[in-house]
Amino acid sequence: MGAFVGRLKARARRLLQRPGSADLSRYEPLVRQAGAREQWAQGLSDEELTEAAGALRESAGGRFGDRDLVELCALGREAARRALDERPYDVQLLGTLGLLTGHVVEMATGEGKTLAGALAAAGYALRGERVHVLSVNDYLARRDAEWMAPVYALLGVSVAWVGQSSTREERRRAYAADVTYGAVSEIGFDLLRDRLCTDVAELVLPEPGVALIDEADSVLVDEARVPLVLAGSAGEVEADRAVSEVVRRLRAEVHYEIDDNRRSVYLTGAGAEAVEAALGGIDLYSDEHAGRLAAVNVALHAHALLRRDVDYIVRDGRVQLISESRGRVARLQRWPDGLQAAVEVKESLPVSRGGEVLDSITVQALVGRYPRVCGMTGTAVAVAEQLREFYGLEAAVIPPNRPCIRVDEPDRVFASVADKEAALVAEVAEVHATGRPVLVGTLDVAESERLARKLTAAGVENVVVLNARNDAEEAAVVAEAGALGAVTVSTQMAGRGTDIRLGGANGADHDEVAALGGLYVVGSGRYPSSRLDNQLRGRAGRQGDPGGSVFFSSMRDELVTGYAPDAEVPGEVADNGEVTGANVAAVVDFAQRVAEGVNLETHRDTWRYSKLVEHQREVLLEYRGRVLREDVAVRLLEQRCAERWADLTEGVGEQEAARVARLVLLHHLDRGWTEHLEFLTDLREGIHLRALAREDPLDEFHRAAIPAFKRIVDQARDQTVETVEKLEWDESGVDLAAVGIRRPSATWTYLVHDNPVGSEQDRVMKWLRSKVASAERSWLRR
Amino acid sequence: MLGAFRSALATPDLRRKILFTLGILVLYRFGTTLPSPGVSYVNVQKCYDQVDQQGIYSLINLFSGGALLQLSVFALGIMPYITSSIIIQLLTVVIPRFEQLRKEGQSGQAKLTQYTRYLTIALAILQATGIVALAVRGQLFAGCTDPVIPDQSVFNLIVVVITMTAGTSVIMWLGELITERGIGNGMSLLIFTGIAARIPAEGGNILNSQGGLVFFVVCVFGLAIICSVVFVEQGQRRVPVQYAKRMIGRRMYGGTSTYLPLKVNQAGVIPVIFASSLLYLPDLISRLTTSTTSEPSGWQQWVAQYLVSQSSWVHISLYFLLIIFFTYFYVSITFNPDERADEMKKFGGFIPGIRPGRPTAEYLRFVLGRITLPGSIYLGIIAILPNLFLDITGQGQNQNFPFGGTAVLIMVGVGLDTVKQIESQLMQRNYEGFLR
Repeated sequence: MGAFVGRLKARARRLLQRPGSADLSRYEPLVRQAGAREQWAQGLSDEELTEAAGALRESAGGRFGDRDLVELCALGREAARRALDERPYDVQLLGTLGLLTGHVVEMATGEGKTLAGALAAAGYALRGERVHVLSVNDYLARRDAEWMAPVYALLGVSVAWVGQSSTREERRRAYAADVTYGAVSEIGFDLLRDRLCTDVAELVLPEPGVALIDEADSVLVDEARVPLVLAGSAGEVEADRAVSEVVRRLRAEVHYEIDDNRRSVYLTGAGAEAVEAALGGIDLYSDEHAGRLAAVNVALHAHALLRRDVDYIVRDGRVQLISESRGRVARLQRWPDGLQAAVEVKESLPVSRGGEVLDSITVQALVGRYPRVCGMTGTAVAVAEQLREFYGLEAAVIPPNRPCIRVDEPDRVFASVADKEAALVAEVAEVHATGRPVLVGTLDVAESERLARKLTAAGVENVVVLNARNDAEEAAVVAEAGALGAVTVSTQMAGRGTDIRLGGANGADHDEVAALGGLYVVGSGRYPSSRLDNQLRGRAGRQGDPGGSVFFSSMRDELVTGYAPDAEVPGEVADNGEVTGANVAAVVDFAQRVAEGVNLETHRDTWRYSKLVEHQREVLLEYRGRVLREDVAVRLLEQRCAERWADLTEGVGEQEAARVARLVLLHHLDRGWTEHLEFLTDLREGIHLRALAREDPLDEFHRAAIPAFKRIVDQARDQTVETVEKLEWDESGVDLAAVGIRRPSATWTYLVHDNPVGSEQDRVMKWLRSKVASAERSWLRR
Repeated sequence: MLGAFRSALATPDLRRKILFTLGILVLYRFGTTLPSPGVSYVNVQKCYDQVDQQGIYSLINLFSGGALLQLSVFALGIMPYITSSIIIQLLTVVIPRFEQLRKEGQSGQAKLTQYTRYLTIALAILQATGIVALAVRGQLFAGCTDPVIPDQSVFNLIVVVITMTAGTSVIMWLGELITERGIGNGMSLLIFTGIAARIPAEGGNILNSQGGLVFFVVCVFGLAIICSVVFVEQGQRRVPVQYAKRMIGRRMYGGTSTYLPLKVNQAGVIPVIFASSLLYLPDLISRLTTSTTSEPSGWQQWVAQYLVSQSSWVHISLYFLLIIFFTYFYVSITFNPDERADEMKKFGGFIPGIRPGRPTAEYLRFVLGRITLPGSIYLGIIAILPNLFLDITGQGQNQNFPFGGTAVLIMVGVGLDTVKQIESQLMQRNYEGFLR
């Protein structure tokens, strides 16, 4: 009966085209047919299997009919059985078919996403397409590629991976393979670097084919808020140490204030005066000291908003950012606009080189390049609406092979952080005494270390910490997290891609651990998104194993104080500080929804504003491509300064002259683009003010950005002619450095944030709200 | 301008959007002229011509594009939706649950929108019932004896109410369709269409009653007014703002594109609507207190002579002063210098040469005060212009006269916004000539 109602509900949702309801039932018969072909596949020798897969490549001719799909499933299953000693379940094959038909499939943890994805990638490859498997980080990209390599080999598909340390040559080879694994940022940077190439031979990336995205919600939603930015070093930045010293002495509340959700910090009047006095009685807000003021603001940001061991760690004498959504060190990421230097000064480290933005791309635009996109994750339905809005992708749910029997206990909410942590430690100690393995999920590095210390103090032995600081030991820590008596304290790092087996790596004590209730997941606070909560819960209860999870929250958690600052305690407070009542988690749930809303808005804003930039980039790249491949530069110079050009060709030879002409024009085009991006950033910063005149900020942004863009090419042409006029040469060649043409030496990415402003209607309502509130207050006083 | 329009139509994507919008607007106009079932079209036309429709319905009639008094399918127009969204907005102030939804971003907003739609239906039923009741009792067109709804059986009346309510839902949907898939803001465009559609009829009136010369003068004058409104509407004072958050070596674009705009007409059309609504009140009260049998009392006569009569100098100057007052009032709500200064401070912005915080607020207040005075006088003049034309149009309704007051302000406002949006979309797509 229940199942019937469930089916009816699913059908109704589908009828209404609700997100996350794509229908895969059509493919279930195919999976059954593949099961019938299993005997036949088992009878093949390894060579015959590879040959049968190769035959598929020819017979399909770029398109897969149902028969080809069945064949692929049967062969893939057999290949996996032989290569990995793992026979893919029917639901995994269903996932493979979902991927092959361009869906984002939701598969629970431990259901074997990696294998399902590999079979799908092989399927696309056999169809004659080039596949990029985008993972969240280098570690997973390499692990998956190497793990699945034997399966690919049996199917006759070549596979490779790219990582941070790959050389250009390695990259080119890797991209030549049928299937290439790589972190999304790595592939994004290759694309950005290709765009700055000055020689056709330097290009790395082939034409895009299929993108198969692992952890699709993380890549397509969480990562999409931060554009990938390629920055080139622009020489030394002088970090203002004097300013940093002054700022260090300022006090919160008196000299500066921080807003509720910790996005901005600003000087008070007293603070400004203190700074001015300390810097020798200058007026910070006059035109001449604008640079000083920026330095003060940046230093203040570094001191007040960025916290060591939360937002970054210091390792090997360097400041390393921690990714908010993944809890890992983001190696190539830096803060923009002098903020990095300010943090380095704050930590008394040597200041690294400053940079300027050369080019940037959003994840959306990167994924949008691929004609065919599919993905897999443990939590797709929660973001199904966004996947549809931003990527035109449909999410489909694959049922688990064995139903999940994990017990999710209701949240426990406490009045203060101290009460919460005391109760958490007590709970973990109690569970640990039985020998049941415990995984404590924390929000940041500092918290993970603090809790580990408290646990040790409470007599819990062998507490293992996994955070951004020791990410090298990740694989080893995760492998043992499910062992008898293990206590692992981790940041969000343990939230994805890791599969915790009960009873340790070899599963020796599996049954004993299962009898104790399986892995117990304890969250030390809710994440800014329910998806991340579910990812953490998903560490327990894989493949029908028993497991449990509980979240401890407090009314003073940053999530609550930041997004529901005037929430009231939703019930009675007991002696141990625990809030008891009917629906204690309501406040936390609300705060989480607000946070999700804010993040979605940021994502949408990033996208709306970057759409135009993407379009402009495409237009410019088309021209750049012609300069790179054709003789555009030569023709330009022949036209504009024929005499000089004749001199040059005579002096250095035709071929070298053409090369020089190309380099000069490319250089000016790239400079023009960099300056244009800088202009757009400036424009973007204040564009929200236009709403005050009832203008649409986005429209106004376009109206200012488009004319500016149209000038770039003409300007670059003029400058090229100018530069060529100034060129000097001798027998050894042309001295390009003398006219300021050099390549940027280092590249990294930036983190970018935003500021929203309300509409006229919002402002009227705000006024009304303040009036109502003050009326209420005066009424209460009476 | 025409060239821009041609290239807009030459861009396939944009052409589709514009044609889609126009198609919807045609559909909307069709619905406003389509009589509801059970309504006698002939009698309605007769009464419509007979009755001098000055009074409380005229603003509603304006927003419904004249459909109200035609008792057409779309008789209620867009008003129930506007009212309902205002009510829901107001409720977010007092109902904590609504306040929470508002804060939850998109998903919460979607729920609020859904509530707004439900409330619209409820309001539509209420209004339709009211109008049908008025029509049945012959009060809709006071003094007209022909029954506008001949068959007054309960079933038939319910059909009329249901038709009008359904009509409102359809309008709501049409508006949302335009916003989503067409160009411009759907609701504003529907109002715009309603007003613009009356111009030919009003023009015809003048031509018939006053002759060609007056008609010509009025046309020239109307055009001049529209031009000057377009001109003033675009006027703004740009206060330069700098954001000192980024440390960049070469700042070459300093401040030219980063500014805080203050419009000459910062308040928009709202003060005029407030003022005219307020001026209807005495009229309404005196009507409600008048019994049909007795003679009007002294104050009622005074009200009728000086306040209701739109050509009296008391009415005109009161109207003018109210508009000036509401302009200051509304600007003080929507542009709070302290808040703006505070917000700029938070995001690291400042006006060069002026300290953030209170000095910035003082400066903004000063500039705003200086610009609001001419702005409010301009609004007042535009609003009372039609009152000076009353003798020409021969009708006692100022708001409906298409060359002044609310009508022209709304039309120009919506028109400018839509053209700007088209232009911006056009620019995005039009990179021709870039790659020679």
